Amino acid sequence: MLTTEARQKILAENEAAAAELRERFARAGTLVVDLISSPGSGKTALLEATARKLAGSLRIACIVGDIATERDADRLRAAGLPSRQITTGGACHLEARNVRDALAAARFGPLDILFIENVGNLVCPASFALGEDFKIVLLSVTEGHDKPFKYPGIFSRASVALITKSDLLPYVAFDVERVRGEITTLRPNARVLLTSVVDEKGLESWCDLLRSALGEKRGVVATA
Amino acid sequence: MHELSIVEGLLKLVLADRAERGPSDRAVRAVRVAIGELASVEPTQLAHAWQSVASEHGELVVEWCRARQVCATCGEVPERQPGSWLRLCPACGDPLRVEGGDELDLVEIEYANENGALRC
Repeated sequence: MLTTEARQKILAENEAAAAELRERFARAGTLVVDLISSPGSGKTALLEATARKLAGSLRIACIVGDIATERDADRLRAAGLPSRQITTGGACHLEARNVRDALAAARFGPLDILFIENVGNLVCPASFALGEDFKIVLLSVTEGHDKPFKYPGIFSRASVALITKSDLLPYVAFDVERVRGEITTLRPNARVLLTSVVDEKGLESWCDLLRSALGEKRGVVATA
Repeated sequence: MHELSIVEGLLKLVLADRAERGPSDRAVRAVRVAIGELASVEPTQLAHAWQSVASEHGELVVEWCRARQVCATCGEVPERQPGSWLRLCPACGDPLRVEGGDELDLVEIEYANENGALRC
């Protein structure tokens, strides 16, 4: 039988495009974070709050993917975060080539941190590398505490998990410790943070995490 | 939805391999892929997507790869039901780690010769 048996990654083309982006971000010293969650978990709200905290001290920008509309980019720009919207026209995730094209069009200039707000979806974006340093997953307390084991792909790949809308915890049945346990079963070293953009809980820890990841990437020891 | 993106990637690899081989060996009989439990790809949908856009490039054969839950002391947990996860080792109660299951690989392209018979 005639076969070709060199095992290859099916998404080799995306991986190659992502590797090029990763090299480019490494040369520029830009930390890149891919944010993934269901629609409505608070990715844009988190970035608005993050922009308010970091925009004065760090050069930050965002590429945001949605199936339709410029709404998220408009919100982020209004919060002082230079942003470029990608409208996928139906595609459920961003690919590395989308990021490359959006970067070329956006002309952000030198950046400390680039946020990539992925299309709201806990499934498809997990498979696609975008040149990021790490993926973070957001899970809002109103979505229910059974999600990590239901979506093991993304929860095993994201090195940071944010439990968002923590100010609503008194009103919903959401067992934080159960979620923490499920997340760390899928990814033992995951950082799990409880956050709220309403009372700002956890936002300082989130910003510290970004600052120290940026310092680490640039070979600088972060100071607290 | 993203199964079509996966098929697009797969098709590019198959076409590149065929192009490398030259005209005499071009009929593909089967394309074997390994899809892991954590790859966020649904095998039936993937097969349907392949059937819709690439069926002339042979049959898609999916090898489903389970993730393993492993205890540092007791080894792999054998009892885990498909799609369910254990928090702790049922034997000793220690935390478990997950191994494997992230495959999204083209394993093998199987070619037939021009009259459709297998070439050995």
